Amino acid sequence: MSAGGHHPAPASPVEQRVAALEALLTERGLVPEGFIEEITRRYESEIGPMNGAKVVARAWVDPQYRQRLLADGTAAIAELGFGGPEGDHMVVVQNTPGVHNVIVCTLCSCYPWPVLGLPPAWYKDPPYRARMVREPRTLLAEMGCPLPTDAEIRVWDSSAEVRYLVLPERPPGTEGITEAELAGLVTRDSMIGTARL
Amino acid sequence: MSTPLSLSGLDLPRRNGELAFDAPWQSTVFALAAAVIEHAFDGDREPFRQQLIAAIAAQPGRPYWESWTAALEALVQALP
Repeated sequence: MSAGGHHPAPASPVEQRVAALEALLTERGLVPEGFIEEITRRYESEIGPMNGAKVVARAWVDPQYRQRLLADGTAAIAELGFGGPEGDHMVVVQNTPGVHNVIVCTLCSCYPWPVLGLPPAWYKDPPYRARMVREPRTLLAEMGCPLPTDAEIRVWDSSAEVRYLVLPERPPGTEGITEAELAGLVTRDSMIGTARL
Repeated sequence: MSTPLSLSGLDLPRRNGELAFDAPWQSTVFALAAAVIEHAFDGDREPFRQQLIAAIAAQPGRPYWESWTAALEALVQALP
């Protein structure tokens, strides 16, 4: 939060609507003091793809953790301390040399918040939501992720309950580096499935 | 993948993506929805999700957080 307010710009229509909602909900006692600041702080500084990267790196170095992660994503992710809204039913899908997974929400913007944070703008836009189902191979290539023609693409549409996370393949040549360094290799898009490492 | 990576920035959500919010009103309306879900729906996200689906379907080209705002308005109107 800035300490600003010195040069307030005129509120746009949507800003006015949000201000009206805030006033109404506060009056009804639904917004505890400091709640908005706390939620904003958490999603700007604590909850994001670095959490998922830690999960992926652990799965790369610990075969037993990997097994648990694939068997019960929610529980295995909670082992690392991650959970909460949009993470109640986590399913982790693993990439292999012959299978590439990618996640989408065709109806809105469902996304595994505890491990990836809030979705990027393109994930929420109509072209991605429609085309990833209709022509995933073409769209992935356009997004810089061309796949071999014999690779199977599995598209996971997030439903009301389930949130998916892609477990990318460990890059070759990373045998000697630490788990923390491995986590630094894992990109957000590789866990959505729109990039490979 | 050859070079070892600097871990600086590993703990920032924006590291390999955009910031979560582009403007303060977006984080406010995000948090307001969280407040309503938590305090008026006992944590059940599905009613809001259904409103969001409807709001996006009604105007597919509308900016996302504006659809989110419309969804929250509809949800709040239906509150007893």
